[in-house]
Amino acid sequence: MDRRQRFGYLVLAVVIGHVIVISAQINAQPGATILESVAFGVFAEVQQLLATTRDGVTGVWSGYISLRGLREQNEGLNSEIAGLRIELQEQRAIAEQARSLERLLGLHETLDLLTQGARIIASDATPYFSTITIDRGSLHGVQPDLAVIVPAGVVGRVVGVPGERAAKVQLLVDRNAAAGALIERTRASGVVIGTDDDRVMRMDYVSNLEDVRVGDRIVTSGTDGIYPKGFLVGDVTAVVEGVGLYRVIDVDPVVDFTKLEEVLVVIDPHALITDAGQR
Amino acid sequence: MKTSQIILALFIALLTQTTFIGVVTQRMPVDLVLIVVVFAALTNGPSVGLWTGTFSGMLQDILSGGVIGVSGLAKTITGVLVGFIGSQFILGTIGLRLIILVLASIVHALCYLGVYALIEPGMPIVTARMVGLQAILNAVVGVAALAAIRVGPGVRERFRRKRRSLSVTPLDHEWVN
Repeated sequence: MDRRQRFGYLVLAVVIGHVIVISAQINAQPGATILESVAFGVFAEVQQLLATTRDGVTGVWSGYISLRGLREQNEGLNSEIAGLRIELQEQRAIAEQARSLERLLGLHETLDLLTQGARIIASDATPYFSTITIDRGSLHGVQPDLAVIVPAGVVGRVVGVPGERAAKVQLLVDRNAAAGALIERTRASGVVIGTDDDRVMRMDYVSNLEDVRVGDRIVTSGTDGIYPKGFLVGDVTAVVEGVGLYRVIDVDPVVDFTKLEEVLVVIDPHALITDAGQR
Repeated sequence: MKTSQIILALFIALLTQTTFIGVVTQRMPVDLVLIVVVFAALTNGPSVGLWTGTFSGMLQDILSGGVIGVSGLAKTITGVLVGFIGSQFILGTIGLRLIILVLASIVHALCYLGVYALIEPGMPIVTARMVGLQAILNAVVGVAALAAIRVGPGVRERFRRKRRSLSVTPLDHEWVN
């Protein structure tokens, strides 16, 4: 066997190896878990170090040299606004839930979110997917399929096996992402999915018979078991009557995914307390 | 390129891609890792293209939201092809390398998207415009990096010589004489 032939067999073996790895993941969900978790964990540490250095350099520049006093004041106000916005959304969700439940069933429901703050340390390694890496992992209670939010609205969910101090988050604008949602005004439900464009999402499975208008707010429905109910997703920017049964709805995400720096992981999505016997 | 240089370049490319480019500009379609694979394959041949593509692609898959192995497979095929072309033809000029980078980016995108089309019908939907933009960006960034690497030592040497000539004062001459 000459050298060229040997190399040909080597290429074939490597290609077959890749195909086996890919097939293993298609057939049985979490493929190459050990490889993934070890490599992700190690790399996340380096990314964390780099992100800290990057943030440190930019922080020194903008915080101490440029606008020292204003920046501190701004940070304080921003965190206060963030807290108030979260509170507002929780209150809005609670009020809406209470209204509809009182109307229909006479049940009481309260939304109690337990969140964990996290910093974004890296983005996706390929340009084809929209994922980010955060600096909180299994040590901080982060598990797969936990919702990730910011004060403005929903960001995405934790995917893959989180490392000890890092986790991967799939953004809602990723083409593989989806969330149960409803139109706030009419309560018509559907599913919001990501597209190829960072600035546009689509809402599917809303009947042609439903009343949907440009400017309608889309909020999470909570039916997917991942995202807490009542959190903002986006606004309707275009509505067209579909060829089949459903409308074609374009949604402008309320979160600016290009400017994310810190997020909140919802550790306990919702503590549901039903008290059917009261009314 | 030595093995240690390739590994270092791959790590720098991967870290730059994830912690700087992606965070600053989401969905910037440049693929720094692919650029390193192409240059490693061009200078060292198909066998280096093979392992560089496999190793870097797998790492990229692990750090991204996709299926593990898809990027590895695409980069392996691209690395081997570029390595073969590099071993058959003399591709020393910047223009030829630019063309190779464009072609390699297109081959990589076709392999990557082709495998996804087989395993997840209809996903991901990437337009020809995005592939074209990525190919052009990869070529421009790659050639710029190469030019910087080539020019870098010369500039440093000139700077050192200039500094040395400035530090030699007339008094020093007198002392020497």
